[in-house]
Amino acid sequence: MNAKSGVSTLRRRRMDGWRWGGRIFLLFMLIYTAVPMVWMLLTSIKSGFAAMAFPPEWWPSEPTLASYRNLLDPENSVGRDFLRFFWNSLVVSTLTTILAVLVAVPAAYAFSRFRFPGRRFLFFSVLLRNMFPAVIFLVPLFILMRFLGLVNTHGSLVLTYLTFGLPLAIWLLKGFYDNIPVQLEQAARIDGATRLQAFVLIVMPLSVPGIIATAIYSFIGAWNEYIYAYTFLSKNEQLTLPVGVQRFFSENTTDFPGLMAASFMMSVPVVVLFLVLQKYFVRALTEGAVKH
Amino acid sequence: MAHVILKDLVKTYGPVYAVRDVSLTVNDGEFVALVGPSGCGKTTTLNLVAGLIPITSGDITIGERVVNDLDPKDRDIAMVFQNYALYPNKTVYNNVAFPLQMRRMSSSMIDQKVRDAARMLDISHLLERRPRELSGGQQQRVALGRALVRDPAVFLMDEPLSNLDAKLRVQMRSEIKRFHQDFDATIIYVTHDQLEAVTMADKMAVMNGGYLQQYDTPAQVFANPVNLFVASFVGSPAMSLIPLEVTTAGGRTILTSAEKWTIELSDQNARKVQGATSRKVVLGARHSAIRLHKSQVAGSVPAKVYTVEPTGDVTFVQVFLSGTVVNISLPPTFDVEPDEQIWLAFDQNRMHLFDGETELALQA
Repeated sequence: MNAKSGVSTLRRRRMDGWRWGGRIFLLFMLIYTAVPMVWMLLTSIKSGFAAMAFPPEWWPSEPTLASYRNLLDPENSVGRDFLRFFWNSLVVSTLTTILAVLVAVPAAYAFSRFRFPGRRFLFFSVLLRNMFPAVIFLVPLFILMRFLGLVNTHGSLVLTYLTFGLPLAIWLLKGFYDNIPVQLEQAARIDGATRLQAFVLIVMPLSVPGIIATAIYSFIGAWNEYIYAYTFLSKNEQLTLPVGVQRFFSENTTDFPGLMAASFMMSVPVVVLFLVLQKYFVRALTEGAVKH
Repeated sequence: MAHVILKDLVKTYGPVYAVRDVSLTVNDGEFVALVGPSGCGKTTTLNLVAGLIPITSGDITIGERVVNDLDPKDRDIAMVFQNYALYPNKTVYNNVAFPLQMRRMSSSMIDQKVRDAARMLDISHLLERRPRELSGGQQQRVALGRALVRDPAVFLMDEPLSNLDAKLRVQMRSEIKRFHQDFDATIIYVTHDQLEAVTMADKMAVMNGGYLQQYDTPAQVFANPVNLFVASFVGSPAMSLIPLEVTTAGGRTILTSAEKWTIELSDQNARKVQGATSRKVVLGARHSAIRLHKSQVAGSVPAKVYTVEPTGDVTFVQVFLSGTVVNISLPPTFDVEPDEQIWLAFDQNRMHLFDGETELALQA
C-alpha cells in the first residue's frame, strides 16, 4: 500500500515537471510571437519623433492615432494609395481563394474516391511543386506571364498563387474526403440521389470545415505574398499591400509609425479570419489523427 | 415486394474474380442470408444487386425488370449498412425523410410516413436528435426506418448487427426477424456470422472464394452440407473433420486412421464411400453425433481430452484424435478431466463423409 502510493506521488511529480516545462516553453513562445506584434502596435500610435527616440520609449508618452487617420483618409495621397493597395490585395486574395476552392474541392474528391489511371502519379506530381522554394519559379513564371500578356495584371498573381496554394489545398481536402465514409454516398444514391446530388447534399456539408481551412490557407498565402507581387507588378495603382507598404521606406526618412500602422491594418483581416474560423482550421489539420 | 433473380453473376477486378457465376433466386417475401468468410464475395454480390458497383457479366432481375444498367436510385431498393451510414448532419427525422424528399413527395405525406415508421420502430421520441446522440441500437433502428419508409421492393442489409455488442445483437436479431415477418419483406442479408444466417434466414447462400457453395434452407445446409467448406463453416462449434483411408475386406468397409484405429461403416455409409475418387475420405461429425465413453466399447476409438469448457447447459469437450481436434457436447453432469484417456463412438446415421480429393459430400 505504502509502496504503491509512493510510486504514484513520484509519477505525479514527474508529470508536474513535464507540465511546468511545457508551460515555460509556451510562455517563451508567447513572448517570442507577441512582442513584435505589441511593438508594432505601440510604434503605430507614436509620433514620428518618439518612434526614433533613443533609448526607446517603451510606452508612448503622447499616444496619437494620426498615422491611422492618415492611412484611412482618401483625401491625401498616402491614404489614397493605402486604400487602393488594400483593395487590390483583397481582390487578388479573394479571387485566389474562390478559384482554389472551386478547383480543389472536385480535384480532392476525385483523388479520394475514384481509381483512375495515373491517379498516383498525378497526386504526387501535385505535391512535387512543394519540394522547391517559390523563388525558383520566379523567372520561368515571369517569362510565362509575359508570353500570356499578363504582366502588370492581377491575373498573373492569381494564377501564380493558385499554383502554390492548390497542392496543399487538394492534399488537405483529400484527407477530409478520405474520412467521410463512402457508405454515406452509397446510402444517398440508394435513397434516390444521383452521384452529384449525393456529393452536394451529403458530402459537401460534411466537408465544410475542410473547405474553410482550405480557404483560409489560400487567402493568407495570397494576402502575404511579396516576391511575385513585387516582380510582376510595376504600376503603382496595381500594387498589393506587401509591396505597397514598402513605400513607407524612403531614402532619407522612414515613417515608422505609418509603416507600423499599415502593417497592423494589414494583419487585421488575417487575424479576424483566423479567430473566427480557427476551430475549423485546427479540426482540418488534425482530422484523421484520432478515431472518432 | 418483389423477387430477385441473379443469373450467372460475375464481377472481376482485373484478373481477380470477386464473384463467380453466382445464380440464385430470392422469392417474393423471402429472407435470404449471404454468408461466408471475409473476402468470399458476399458483400460484392450485395453491392452488385444495389448497383453500387457495375457488374462484369450476368443478369440481375428485380421484380419484372432487368436492372443491370440502372442507377441505384432507380432499382427500388433500400439498404442498411454495417456502419448504418446515417447522415451525421441531419436529424433522425430528416434521415428517415431523405429518401422521400429525394422522390419529391409532398411534405405532409412525408411527415405522415416518417411518423408512422418512427412509431413502428419505437423511435418517435428521437426524431429531433442527431445520429451521434443515439446508442448503437437506436442508430440501427433509424437505419431500418430510413429503409422501410418508402416501401422498397427489396431490402439489402450488409452486416447490420456486427457493430453492436453481444446482448444487443441478439435482441436486434429478433427485431429484424420480426420486421421481416410483419412486412413480408424480401430481404437479402449479408453476414459472416453463420449463427445469424441460421437463426434468421429462410434460406442461406454459403459463399467462398467468389463461388456460391450451397443455397438452401438453414436446416438443409446444416443437415446436408454439400462439401467440406460448408460443413466446416456452418454450425457452432464447427463440425469435426477427420481425414481417414478406406479399405474393404471381406465385404466389410473400414476407415483407418494414420494411427491405425479403425471404424467399420454401416451398409449405407459403405455405399457412400464407394463413390469416392480415391481411398482418401474425410469423416465429419457434429458435436452431438459423437459419444464419449470412459472405457472402450464396441466400435469406439481411443482419444485424449484436450480442454473442457462448461457453458452451464452444455459442456463442450475438445478431444485430440489423430492430430485433429474433435468437438463433443456433453451434459454438464458428465465428469471428465483434461488429459484423460477416453473413447469416442460416432453415430453412423448422423456422420458425414466427404471425398478427400474433391472435398464434395459423398452420397449413397
